[in-house]
This record gives sequence, structure tokens and C-alpha cells, in this order.
Amino acid sequence: MTLTELREKLRPPCPALDIHVHPLGPKRVDSVDEDARQILAAADRAGVEKMCIFLLHPASGEGQLPEPTMDQCREANDYNLQMRERSPDRFIPFCYVNPMYPQESVAEIDRCVEGEQMCGIKLWIARRATDPGLDPILQRSVELGIPVLQHAWDKTTGNLSGEPFPQDVAHLAKRHPEAKIIMAHLNGCGLRGVEHVIDCPNITVDTGGGDPEAGMVDTAVNALGGKRVVFASDLPVRLLGQCLGKTLGANIPEQFVRDILWNNAARLLPEWAGVKPI
Amino acid sequence: MIIDLNAFTGHWPSHPVTGDLNSVRASLHEYGVDRICVSPLEAAWCRNPHRFNEALYRTAGTFPDVYPVPVLDPTVATWKKELERATRELRVKLVRLLPAYSPYALEAADELLEALVAENLAVIIQTRLEDPRRQHQLAQVPDIPAAEIANTAERHPALTVIIGGARTGEIRGLKDRLLASPNLYADVSQCDGLDAIKVLVEEGLTEKLLFGSHAPLFIPYSALSRVVTDLADEDAAAILGDNAERIITW
Repeated sequence: MTLTELREKLRPPCPALDIHVHPLGPKRVDSVDEDARQILAAADRAGVEKMCIFLLHPASGEGQLPEPTMDQCREANDYNLQMRERSPDRFIPFCYVNPMYPQESVAEIDRCVEGEQMCGIKLWIARRATDPGLDPILQRSVELGIPVLQHAWDKTTGNLSGEPFPQDVAHLAKRHPEAKIIMAHLNGCGLRGVEHVIDCPNITVDTGGGDPEAGMVDTAVNALGGKRVVFASDLPVRLLGQCLGKTLGANIPEQFVRDILWNNAARLLPEWAGVKPI
Repeated sequence: MIIDLNAFTGHWPSHPVTGDLNSVRASLHEYGVDRICVSPLEAAWCRNPHRFNEALYRTAGTFPDVYPVPVLDPTVATWKKELERATRELRVKLVRLLPAYSPYALEAADELLEALVAENLAVIIQTRLEDPRRQHQLAQVPDIPAAEIANTAERHPALTVIIGGARTGEIRGLKDRLLASPNLYADVSQCDGLDAIKVLVEEGLTEKLLFGSHAPLFIPYSALSRVVTDLADEDAAAILGDNAERIITW
């Protein structure tokens, strides 16, 4: 096999939408322009057409903060909007909020979604998903018809104090059965994590994060069906091509590949995201 | 020519894999891998990892493109005999150390490593097999720092030493030592992050990088894509096979 043939073989068979991308942020790059340029260049090489983006640290350049203030969330969201301005056809911004401040989070969601047409909500590790502080945020997501992407991991070395486990996300989904919840990090949630969300039809699992362990997407598709798994990378923590391999190297039917890489995200995103199923 | 210097065969206790050699070989052939260097996964968890080498020789011997990489452990009393056995296998070109799993400090391997020089064999020393956050909670194995493997290479300048499973940041941190040590190389099987290998190439490390898949624990597609997607043909070809062709006596 020549290198040219190998490159062709590794190319995704359809457009890909990555539902979990972090801008590099001002701690790693000097400008929003450079941030957008680096991420788009990597996406072009890998064959990723669109990306849902959210910054987890403030534009002032501090590192990732597990418990950001709402001012810091607003800074991060403003940066995210600047990213969209650089490439509105490719960047789909999500609004980052902190459930320690439920009412302020709802106000920020209204500013970003109603005011700026952001397309989803990102929750990280400030509070576990069992915390009632998440409830007003989830209620608002239902009213607005947007998905909530919730970080989750099952670390055998121990999660951080506010870091949700997969079972916490299942708890959240059962409290809010109308909400569209994306549970992040299939490989981080692992073989146990998938089992926790089987009976939560409003949870879709993202394939981002973790190593490209064999069989994880196969397992998720077998357990949840091909409509409840969605392509994600967790860029820049992970490499796009490596993450595409989790799906493209899985032993699953071709139609599920198209669903995971594009259609399932298209179904979760609001109409104004402009993403149609293929 | 694509040479996978870091593949395995067998079973892994904390994650199910399709690890029989036929399947591993087929999964790599699908992406054009021409030569596959494999070690037995079970060796990591056995108090005498040598027990799995004989079976590896037998199964690998039926495939002309498979190169057995026996696991040697300098703390097992009979390692000299095990090395002698390895040298009788024509397709053994390198041996693997798993110091994190025995466990032992790399200084304990010094005599063994000098013996490898005499036999014209290279060594791959594995930093990690599994993300510590994903290991079984009752079987936590800390990584071997890549810098300790660089120290080992500097103690044995006539031995070709490959750092197995180091992450991009670790390899980048060893840039000066990699460039200064003609006998030190790193495989890319666990490089990750935005432009994971591209940044290493831009640091001038192309000739120090070797392709490894970490199959069957990791997906071969991901391993190949990690190298091919972000690099120019010349750099990709060097990492995928040309470097290994040059540094190993095949």
C-alpha cells in the first residue's frame, strides 16, 4: 500500500462534525486568529468539517479553573464568540457555565443562546451532576431546545471532588427526561460507564477523550444503538485523526459511521446551528 | 515499508481485546503494515514473564512478517538462559523490558543491556501500557519516566534503545538528549494532542521517531492516522518505516 493509498483509506467517508473541541485559549496562543487558524488547519487535515467549541478558562489567560466565577465564564464565552466570528460556517459555539451559580448561569445562557445564538451548554467539573444546582440549567436547556454536554469520567485513581461519574449523568438524565444530554468521554467512562446510561434514552455518548482503546465504540453501539453515539475529540487534549479512528476503526455498520460522524449531532443541535442530516 | 515496532499479542486482564496473532496481524495488514514486532501481553502480569516467550516464538514462526519481541526480566534468575534462547530465534531483532510491571529500577538491567550489545539486539523499554486512570484500581502501575530510559541509553551508548509508549510532552522534553544520543529513539504509539507528532517533527526529531501501534490494545487506524494525517510524505515515511529499517539489523 502506498502512502497515497493509505491517506485515502484513512480519510473519513463522509463529513465529520466534532462535538467536543476546546479552543487553545490565550494561555497557549497569542490571538484568536492564531487559535482559529491552528484548529482549522488540524481539522482540514483530518477531514473534520464542523466543530462545537467551548473554552474552559477565561480570556485573561489563567489556566483551567474547576470552579470559575461567572465573570470568568462570561470571558470564556466571549472568546468563544470571537472564535465563531473567525469561521462562522465551521465553529458552533456552546455556552460554558458553572452550576455553583444556577441563576447567573441561566442568565448567561440567555445572553449567549437567545442573544448570540450559541447552540448548546457545556458543564465541566464544578459540581457533580447529582447537584441540584444543575437543575435550572437543564430546565432552561429544554426550553431553548439545546443540548447540554456534561463532562464525565470514571477514574480508577479517583475523580476530582466535583467531577461527575457516568452514574451521576444518568441521575441527571432521569431528573430531566426532556433534556438532550451528551455524556463526554466514552473512553473515560469505560465499559462500566456505558452500562450506567443504557436506560437513559436522552443521553448520547461522545467519543472524545481517553486513549483509542479497541472496541469501545463497538461496545457503545451495541449497548446504546447507533443513534446514541456522537463523534468527539476533546481537541487539543487529543489528536483528531486518532479520535476518528475510534469510530472508523470500529467494527460497526457503515450507516452507523455516518450517524456517529454527523447525523446524530445534527439531530441534537438546534435549527439555527444550520447542520442538516446527510 | 511500514514497520510496527510496538505491537502485542494475547490477553489483557482489565480490557477485552482480540489479541490472537492472526487477528492482530490482519488488523495491521489492513492498513499496509509490512512488518510487525510483537510481544506477549500476558508477560506484564506474570512473576516470570519469560514463560510466554516460547509460545510467542512458535506462533510468530508461522508468519514471515512477524518478528517476536521476547520480554526479558533481569530480576528473574535465569535471564541469561532466556537471552541465549532468544538469540537462537532468527527473527528476534529486539527485546522488550517492562520494568514498571516486574517491577525493577532500570539500573538492575545494566548487565542484561550490555549482553544485548554483544548479541547485536536492540531494546524497547516501555514507559506505560495503560493510562493510569483506566487501570484496575487494585492493580495500579505507575509509568516509568521516559527520562530514566534516556539515562539508560546514555549508560549503554553501543545499544539501540527505544522508548516505548512515551507521550508527546515527554518526548519533546527529551529533545536535546534524543538529538545528542545516536542510540536513543522513541516510538509514537502513545503520542497524543493537537499536532502531536507534527510538533516533534518541527523540533527536528523526525529521525528519532518510530512507528508503533500498541495493537491490539489500541485501534490500528488511530495509530496510522496519528502519523499520516498531519505529516508530509517524507516525514511520514521516515517514521512509519525508514527509520526502523535503518536502525535495526533485520
